Amino acid sequence: MQKYVMRRLLLAIPVLLLSSLIVFALMRVMPGDALTALMGESGNVGERELAKLRKDLGLDRPYYQQYGLWLWQMVSLNPGHSIFTNEPIAVSLKKAVPLTLELAALAMVIGIVIAVPVGVISATRQDSASDYVGRVVAVSGLSFPEFWLGTLVITFAAIWFHWIPPIGYVSFWESPWRNLQQFLIPAAVLGFRLSAATMRMTRSTVLEVLREDYVRTAWAKGLEGRIVVYKHALKNALIPVVTIIGGQLGVLLAGTVVVETIFALPGMGRLTVEAILFRDYPVVQTNVMLVAATLVTLNLVVDLTYAWLDPRIRYS
Amino acid sequence: MPAPYSRLNRRDFVRLSAAGVSAAAVLGPGRRATAAASPYPDWLPASSKPPKRGGVMTRASAWDPPVIDPRHTQSVGLFQFVGLTSNRLVRYPFTDEANGPADLTLKGDLAESWQGSADFRVWTFKLRQGVKWQNLAPVNGREFVAADVKYCFEQYAKEGVQAFTFQEIEGIETPDKYTVRVHLKTPNTLFPQNVAEPVAVLFAREVLEEDGDLKKRLVGTGPYTLKEHTRKVRIVLQRNPDYYDKGRPYVDEYVILSTPDAATRQAAFRTGQADFIWVASPSEAELIRKTNPQTMVQAYHNTLAPFGVALAQDRPPFNDLRVRRAISMAIDRQKMVDTVFEGHGILGWGVPYIYYQDTPPTAKDFGPWWQYKPAEAKKLLTDAGHPNGFSTTLFYYEYFPQMTSQVQLVQQDLKKNLNIDVRITKLDYTSYYGRYVESKWDGMSWGFQSGHAVGLDERTYMYMHSKSTKNFFRVNDSVIDDLTTKLRRTPDRAEQRAIAKKIVDREYDQVLRMWMPYDNGFLLFQPHMRNVAAGALRRSDGYGSPTLARTWMEK
Repeated sequence: MQKYVMRRLLLAIPVLLLSSLIVFALMRVMPGDALTALMGESGNVGERELAKLRKDLGLDRPYYQQYGLWLWQMVSLNPGHSIFTNEPIAVSLKKAVPLTLELAALAMVIGIVIAVPVGVISATRQDSASDYVGRVVAVSGLSFPEFWLGTLVITFAAIWFHWIPPIGYVSFWESPWRNLQQFLIPAAVLGFRLSAATMRMTRSTVLEVLREDYVRTAWAKGLEGRIVVYKHALKNALIPVVTIIGGQLGVLLAGTVVVETIFALPGMGRLTVEAILFRDYPVVQTNVMLVAATLVTLNLVVDLTYAWLDPRIRYS
Repeated sequence: MPAPYSRLNRRDFVRLSAAGVSAAAVLGPGRRATAAASPYPDWLPASSKPPKRGGVMTRASAWDPPVIDPRHTQSVGLFQFVGLTSNRLVRYPFTDEANGPADLTLKGDLAESWQGSADFRVWTFKLRQGVKWQNLAPVNGREFVAADVKYCFEQYAKEGVQAFTFQEIEGIETPDKYTVRVHLKTPNTLFPQNVAEPVAVLFAREVLEEDGDLKKRLVGTGPYTLKEHTRKVRIVLQRNPDYYDKGRPYVDEYVILSTPDAATRQAAFRTGQADFIWVASPSEAELIRKTNPQTMVQAYHNTLAPFGVALAQDRPPFNDLRVRRAISMAIDRQKMVDTVFEGHGILGWGVPYIYYQDTPPTAKDFGPWWQYKPAEAKKLLTDAGHPNGFSTTLFYYEYFPQMTSQVQLVQQDLKKNLNIDVRITKLDYTSYYGRYVESKWDGMSWGFQSGHAVGLDERTYMYMHSKSTKNFFRVNDSVIDDLTTKLRRTPDRAEQRAIAKKIVDREYDQVLRMWMPYDNGFLLFQPHMRNVAAGALRRSDGYGSPTLARTWMEK
């Protein structure tokens, strides 16, 4: 197991290097730079002035130097400063990452809490009314994009209930109740979408497992239905479910961009989108690398979970 | 954000979709939520009641300041509040002083009086005595004096986005603590207006000297101190007890909540989390009034359009006046107003009309080349040697969803009427801005002029003179150069109006900047808000924020 983990970690290095090259190149291919964006607020700057500011920001250096410098900063865990706001990137991330993690974790919990029971009910009551309702909900979750659902939720909450989550982020430690008010609805929007695919996968795998011989044996032994389904069938049905949840983490992170914007939450998504729009190279590059490293790690964790779920699986 | 107050995006399109859906929900079937003529007043007079002190005023804002250094940005994100933390030498009237939105009479801010020399090359400002900087480190409440003005103006001239404006200063004298004498390189009767622009705020020299920039601390002399600025979350302004205008401001705190999504901003207003809001269309205003019937509405009337079709008029085929005129005559602007802006828009002109006439221009004021006459346009283009039309390009950034419809309508009109094929490229903001201001592009662009400027000099000389760095439409017309220079040398208001009219007539005749229709919008206020109306070119949620020093809340 240790060897396997070590090998996977070593393999992550070229993946991350390649990611760094791609994001670095993409940012440079895009027209304009941070200075253009900043000056875009005014439009009153001469060529000489622009050249001076560009030099001050290090934007006049050859690309290989810029890449080398950034790589060194990443390796030394000092990603530098935003060239747009001058704020240390580590400080921006310290503010944004916990928020996105909280949102993603809540969304994940809500998604799983919805998906797994509904999937199991759908499977155990195949072709019944509850199965149809569950399937419709799942298809809706797949069909409604977050930006549409989020906008509708906030608009109708205001019209019908005269209430929306309080605007102006506060951390959980400052005010747990206010923080939960701010996060529950956006997490539910994200979680609803996440639950759709998971629910469908749960339904189909549970259906498949329920037809296995050992489940039939369990029924024949006279075990209680709840024990048969949850103890014998569900655990064995979970490997594809875990796979699909792992695969959806990327989608979940992408979804936070939209949801954070709608619900005015200053997380990683908003930070990254704003940095892309303003060509804040160091911020975009660092954020993308952070997401890439997170996804690599989570994929590894998902793979390791298989072994826990199914003792027959061994990594060597 | 160069031009408009509203930098909308695709997200805002969703807002409109949601607005449509919620309109259906609120209005019920079979009712249209559009109105061609606004039923709302264009001015909310000042309250006659005695002002009440206290309270927290909140606004959900689309804008985040990119930096808080006024030398480096003229963003509305910054100036939605810097006009409250800092002052200028002179200013435009506040809501409770103005006799209407178009009142642009200059008032003293940190200067009590000002006077130009006979040749208008020297301007003397007498400062208000006893004004203190805010009691914040490193200034710690010391007195504001003439040397502060000299320092600020010199720093603005040295670097940053206002350099072009302040570089017209040849030198500054401070004969005593309360007198500033500004020597200009060339005569300018409109110099006081230039230093009354919302962006010409005075900052504390100690901050710049200690920090090397103004990115971390903001200390001014204004009615509010900056208590908190958390990017993408909130800006909190706290009442400055040492403000020179004793008893003001009335509101204890002003909180600006960063809210990038338009639907969320509207929801915040509906639920009372925001005290005022701007919306673009009559249907949105009506929709909010359905759920919040006590809402006070001010119909905002733009005095200029910030956007227009910019042509590469320094090269073929657009250097041919006949081609420019033909294109202008082939575009149906009224159709745009009626369809894209639900009838609540302006046809489009570049210089604020209040500087040269009393009422908003109508189609006939623009002259023959701005009328929609496709047949004559075709004939002109044929005379110019393009009987079969030609192909060209147009790039733009979608500042607001309606803009894409406008671009497509122009494309359709030019194809249908002149057989001109326009290949449209939609860019992201930075790509668009970089290409546009570089001024080396071919073909067409959906061009802009900056949104902050109030003064006539800024709207004429600064944006139209061939040597100006802000001449993005690439105007190179000796008549315009002469007129805009002459305008700066003309002190008489009536003569100024006459020259301004000549400038716009010349612009229309030569089709130098082909302005396009623009929306008007509405400002919505909670019923307890007082003295908060927006003036022309100075929306109280944007560059006109200084007026909020006189706002109070009746609750």
